[in-house]
Amino acid sequence: MPTHTPSFPDLLFDDAARLRRWEAQLMGHLDGAGYRELHPSLVMRDPVNPSTVRFFDGDQLVALRWDFTEALARTLVRRFQEPPRRISYAGPVFRRPANSWDPVERLEVGCEHIQTDPEERTEADRELARLLMAVPALLGLEGCLLHIGHAALLRRPMEAEGVPAALGREVARWLDRRAIHRAAELLEGHPARARLLAHAEILLSGPNGPGSLAVLAQGPYGGLLEAEAEQLGRVLSALTAQLPGGLTLRLDLGDLRGLDYYSGPTLRLWAPGAQRELAAGGRYDGLYPEMGRPWYAAGFCVRLTTLLELNEGAR
Amino acid sequence: MRPLLIALPKGRLEEELLPRLQGTAFELDPRALKSRKLRIPMADPSLAAILLKGADLPRYVAGGVAALGIVGSDILDECPVDLMELSDLNFGVCRLSLCGPGSTTLEALRQKPHLRIATKFPGATGRWLRQEGITAELVPLQSSVELAPVLGLADAIVDLVQSGGTLKAHHLVEFATLGKASARLVACRGMFLAEPDLIGPLAKALAGLLQVH
Repeated sequence: MPTHTPSFPDLLFDDAARLRRWEAQLMGHLDGAGYRELHPSLVMRDPVNPSTVRFFDGDQLVALRWDFTEALARTLVRRFQEPPRRISYAGPVFRRPANSWDPVERLEVGCEHIQTDPEERTEADRELARLLMAVPALLGLEGCLLHIGHAALLRRPMEAEGVPAALGREVARWLDRRAIHRAAELLEGHPARARLLAHAEILLSGPNGPGSLAVLAQGPYGGLLEAEAEQLGRVLSALTAQLPGGLTLRLDLGDLRGLDYYSGPTLRLWAPGAQRELAAGGRYDGLYPEMGRPWYAAGFCVRLTTLLELNEGAR
Repeated sequence: MRPLLIALPKGRLEEELLPRLQGTAFELDPRALKSRKLRIPMADPSLAAILLKGADLPRYVAGGVAALGIVGSDILDECPVDLMELSDLNFGVCRLSLCGPGSTTLEALRQKPHLRIATKFPGATGRWLRQEGITAELVPLQSSVELAPVLGLADAIVDLVQSGGTLKAHHLVEFATLGKASARLVACRGMFLAEPDLIGPLAKALAGLLQVH
């Protein structure tokens, strides 16, 4: 009797219909805001990331699309001198998960906003946050939380203190798990250990709104992070004024996931009962310069696989 | 409404943990504890415990079955699941050590052309061996690891050492300490971040009760 791995789940009738409906609703929402769909190939070349699903195409190693943002970026830098501003996408990505029972194939809908002028970044971040804030109501979700963080809040102090990149990644990995005791072990012997741990205590003290920015300003890196704190404060107050009913906005200074990748404000949408975030995104200004284009970018993706799991749990 | 589940470990940590919960909101119903019930009510009726083997516990928490759990860091370091590790509770403290017969030395082990190390902790052992530049064959075992060098299955072992009594009884000595292990308070990432008003205060209360300073 053949068995099949649950990492590549099949969607039967109702779930398949739900998926189509959600995709259509979200893509319609993005289309209404001026985002045009781009559909990068399902097969990507140069799969350096070991968590990808790789195979040989003739004598060339390729992989199933593991990340939309990277797939889009590769397409855009190859085909455009000036970037299209607003892009949307929908489809699956394939990545080996952290937990063995999680799916390898994940279904996503998302968008990206690209800027060529750094002055346009704040407004782009707000536009994306507003778009994401409308998603729970669109999908009929109640009691959701939108966490807003900032990747530079840990990265900049670690850079300023000369923490080596590999050690910094490990520290961030444990702090993302709220394990400050592990970070303390890793930083043993580092001259800035006490300052960095005092700062980490502030970041992990819990999402409690604008009050956390005041505490951050009093902390050991208050001066260094003045611009980021001001930016977060502005974003928070602008979004609070437009917050739809049934959605709670939380400033989460301890959101340190993807620190290698994100460079500015980050967004994560959570729903009660979901084991993973329903949507995640933020600003990743390092991506395009690494590919030779002086462009700035931010975006988010809605994880329809998580939404399907949430729906299954509720049944 | 179903009670919120807290996963507690069976075995080594259980003996230290259960007495600490007595007289608190987290105290386990003694009658249910003696029965074969899966969910053991706690003094606070909104809570219940499940007793699990340490190696299984992280999966129950990461999968969202239990909101919180208490488990040894030795287990967490072997189990690649995405969990929040909220606190080092600092009890059940022991060390993960490389041990072998008293007749040999660490240097002699390093020189062996085909070193075999028996362990329940292949992840932590592998990381330490890479860090030390030692090549060895790992012999994975589940229990009574100290028998392996005595009976000739392996040259040395990596195991948890608390008092050293078991080592002494088998004429084994410690050559190196790979790290410290202790009880940790863990939380399901999804529940911790999506329901902070529910899980946060509970985690704080449990850590405040159990943490040894």
